[in-house]
Amino acid sequence: MIEVKNMSKSYLRRHVLKDVSFTAEKGQITCLIGINGAGKSTILKSIMGLSPIKKGQILVDGQPLDKLTYEKVAFIPDHLTMPLGMKLAEGLQFMADFYTNWEPSRAEELMDFFQLDALEKIGNMSKGTAAKYNLVLGLAQKTEYVLMDEPFSGIDLFSRELIAEVFSSHLIEDRGVLLTTHEIGEIEQLIDKAVIMQKGTIVREFNCEEVRSAEGKSIVDVMREVYRS
Amino acid sequence: MNRYLKLVHMEIHRFRYVLGSLMGITMIFQISALIWQVNSKLSMDRETAKQFPESLFSQISFHEIVFSIQFWFIIPILVSIAVLSLYVFLIWYRDWFGRNTFIYRLLMLPTARRHIYLAKLTAILTFVFSLVAFQLLLLVIEKLIFNMIVPADRIQSSHFSDVIAANQAFKELIPRAFDQFVFSYGLGIMALIIIFTAILIERSYRMVGIVYAALYVFVCVFAVVFPLLSLGIDRSNAYLYPEEIFGIVFGICAVLLAASVWLGFRLLSKKIAV
Repeated sequence: MIEVKNMSKSYLRRHVLKDVSFTAEKGQITCLIGINGAGKSTILKSIMGLSPIKKGQILVDGQPLDKLTYEKVAFIPDHLTMPLGMKLAEGLQFMADFYTNWEPSRAEELMDFFQLDALEKIGNMSKGTAAKYNLVLGLAQKTEYVLMDEPFSGIDLFSRELIAEVFSSHLIEDRGVLLTTHEIGEIEQLIDKAVIMQKGTIVREFNCEEVRSAEGKSIVDVMREVYRS
Repeated sequence: MNRYLKLVHMEIHRFRYVLGSLMGITMIFQISALIWQVNSKLSMDRETAKQFPESLFSQISFHEIVFSIQFWFIIPILVSIAVLSLYVFLIWYRDWFGRNTFIYRLLMLPTARRHIYLAKLTAILTFVFSLVAFQLLLLVIEKLIFNMIVPADRIQSSHFSDVIAANQAFKELIPRAFDQFVFSYGLGIMALIIIFTAILIERSYRMVGIVYAALYVFVCVFAVVFPLLSLGIDRSNAYLYPEEIFGIVFGICAVLLAASVWLGFRLLSKKIAV
């Protein structure tokens, strides 16, 4: 379980995150929902130790962040994180060199699934292809958790469908997924837990299935309630 | 350790074309200047021989030729120094800016983050020493070329140390005394580490960080220069002997070096932000 406890963060005396607490369980898809600037990406970066926090605690399976956390949690940002001069294959080799949990066969499977050309230069990829490549880099690691930042933003419809397909495949099951989005669309049916954010705070955290059966509301209905109130 | 070496390899691999180009430029400048200078001297002598068939010509030594074309030898060295100085900053900033932010990946590697710092430091030092080594090798090649194009009866032999002494840049880059070597390269490494730490301060605190970084560099320079001047290294009637003053400054440098490395590691593991 990923636990975020009372996390606060400010930049130049402005609160970016204020007393944020939530959990993301293994085997579930947890979605951080909020408009741009709500602090979703900052939370993911803080969990990965890419952005220091002022107050609070982050635990992964009860342990604070250390170098071994990176074998346990994979992060898929919304932009490229590999040198543009490398070929796609070289990027995969880089990952294989550094991560003991890297699975070449899974990388190959994903490269085929997304129809990516291993000999292409990373710098020549379009935004959509880059997003797919980022997914390959993140999902071919055999981690227990995967964090994804806006996996659907700025990507064409068919690519979005492909990515959504990955969510319901064996590549995701059993893992804990924590993703951020501002457009629910394709994945509404896949999400187990939603955490709604506004201006750096969490305004609601709920189990989607429960709300659906008890109150007859979809995630979008709950969002509407929150943002219009 | 293993991952550190992989990171060093990666950093060197990324810079390979620039390093190769610098070596290429050095080679082209120096060898063409050498050939041009030797040829113009020989053709001048031939002209003189036509007018005064009886004249005797002095012998030509390699180090005299190197001395006379110092300027063309120094230019590529200065270019290399400028490029490497710029790369001290770029080696960090290129990972933050542009379409890709490789720093995300580097910071998320399952290895101690100090390895990233050490790998970048090792890479810069490798570039410096490989360029110096290349220059030494090039001098040997240049001497071979010199021996090939100058008629054998006119070659005056020259020692390698004379060749080094014939060029101001060589004297600085390839010091003859070991303690001089330790002193100048030690100072260089210290400056490099202080700049690395200043960069990490800026990357950790951003706008405010620029002020902190500038202050930090100022304090470091002050800590080294102030005791030198205040203890009177330039005065013959100073209270301490020059050796003692150097000892004190050496101690200060050691403290600064350790503090900078510690601070750099700490910022990278606790404070850095992407």
